[in-house]
Amino acid sequence: MRPQWSPLWGLYWREIVRTFRNPFVLLITVVQPFMWLAFFGSSFSEAPASTLEGIFGASNYIQFLLPGVLSTSMLTVGMFGSMSTIQDKRFGFMKRILITPTSKGTVFLTKALGSASRGLVQFPVMVAAALVFGVPFHLSPLQWAAWVGALMLLAIGFCSLFLAITARATDWQTPGVVSNFITMPLMFSSAALFGAKYFPPWMVAISDVNPITFSALLGRSFVLGTTTHWVYLGYLAIFAGLMLAIGFVVSSRWLRVE
Amino acid sequence: MNGPLNGSAIVVKDLSKHYGSGARLVRALDHVTLTIPSGTVFGLLGPNGAGKTTLIKVLTGISEITDGDATVAGFDVRRQSMDVRARIGWVAAEVILDDDFSARENLWFQAKLQSLKGWESRAEDLLKFFSLADRADEKVNQFSTGMRKKLEIALALLHQPLVIFMDEPTIGLDVSTRRMLWDIVTGVHKEFGVTVLLTTHYIEEADALCDRIAIIDQGRILAEGTPSELKSRVRADIVQLETVEPLDAARLSRIPGVQEVRAQGNDWTVRVATADDFLPRLFASVRTDQIRRISVEKPSLETVFLEVTGRRLGQDEPIRDVRRFYAQMQRARR
Repeated sequence: MRPQWSPLWGLYWREIVRTFRNPFVLLITVVQPFMWLAFFGSSFSEAPASTLEGIFGASNYIQFLLPGVLSTSMLTVGMFGSMSTIQDKRFGFMKRILITPTSKGTVFLTKALGSASRGLVQFPVMVAAALVFGVPFHLSPLQWAAWVGALMLLAIGFCSLFLAITARATDWQTPGVVSNFITMPLMFSSAALFGAKYFPPWMVAISDVNPITFSALLGRSFVLGTTTHWVYLGYLAIFAGLMLAIGFVVSSRWLRVE
Repeated sequence: MNGPLNGSAIVVKDLSKHYGSGARLVRALDHVTLTIPSGTVFGLLGPNGAGKTTLIKVLTGISEITDGDATVAGFDVRRQSMDVRARIGWVAAEVILDDDFSARENLWFQAKLQSLKGWESRAEDLLKFFSLADRADEKVNQFSTGMRKKLEIALALLHQPLVIFMDEPTIGLDVSTRRMLWDIVTGVHKEFGVTVLLTTHYIEEADALCDRIAIIDQGRILAEGTPSELKSRVRADIVQLETVEPLDAARLSRIPGVQEVRAQGNDWTVRVATADDFLPRLFASVRTDQIRRISVEKPSLETVFLEVTGRRLGQDEPIRDVRRFYAQMQRARR
């Protein structure tokens, strides 16, 4: 099967432009992780620096939390991708797309890549917010690029997962339901919020294969200036590739049109 | 854009489409056979739920065929779906556009979906043809319903399709917009030489627009032909007259060519082979000062529809079903 470059570009462009013409979508993408950072991140702001250093290896909890929150919010990005697909089904736009020589697989790819890209809008906003909360950044250009790349891979993986699960869905509420089953377990069983240092063994077992952990630890090593395990980037690439392949096959066969 | 066309834009053979299974099986299309010649405006006329939209979904590749064969623009709908989809345009019953985008951007997007090159000048021509050029950079949610409909037809024409599907093109439109759309359908057909398959449940629309018509009901094609061919199937004119005094029904029935006489007081409905022969004979047998009023109804698609389906279009619940329901009620009570 040949890649359909023209519809790929057209549909991807539509995803991106639609985001920027709809300020609410942009706002809702950015507000939630910001709340995490501002409120949840401030939970330990009065704790003695030595205590924080002991538990988190950082004197400012937000410094520790930022890479984790950016990683978990990629789950929400997946949910939004799934919702925009259901919107296209309900408004008949999916029919307009598919009564052209554009394949269902192409539609899937642009939805996955488009929503993942949309999710990355959070990155500069969140980094700026962290600066305001006093987090210092001493990253090399390579580290910045690797951090963004890791988040992009994570987002592509989760968007693909959501799109695969909701390929036949036409109800607005399905992505929300799916999100509840996926988001909470994956978020809390990762090293995103507290690190896995004090986890019970069964949660460590989940955390060690949880892609959110890889992304959070990679980002954290850049922000805290500790040793970077570059292999995490490889794990994330495998996760993204696998989910993309599954989503492509599932959507090509089972994507509902209306 | 050449498909191996041998005079037929669409060929449907013994096509069935079923939804559900077992007791809930719905035969949306039931062994439909149909040939639509290239370059015609072909109308599918039938009530809601007759299977018109299902046929369009199947032919455009949106729904899968349960049984039978179909080719569109010379390509097999099942095996060569991409080839079919590159050669057809589609206009939805409900207007489907990207509201966040301008008319020009909608055209750009359609060109990308069709993988077109060098489409820009054609897009400009279409914008001019549909008088949308001076508002082409406005977001389409600012457009009136008529303008949105026109843009949708322009999108469907952008890639120079061989066949255009129009599902209930004038449903929900006001009278003047509907007239405008009729002119557009005729104009598009003349200007772009495209075969048009449209569905409608308006008899006057089918009569005004279509070269050929198929009457579809409960998933089956009941009659097919040009409007005049269909009308000639009903071999009778209806003469209605009002008389001053009661007439002798037997005397009317004896007039040659009379098929049926019905009376309601002094109002008479006479079914005759042809009114042209009947009227002189009527005046020969009844004194003209006895007739207060007289009118002739020539065969229309309305009478054709009544003849082939046993009910008038728009009268969705046939009387016989009501009777059956009533009989069941009585049996249940006993």
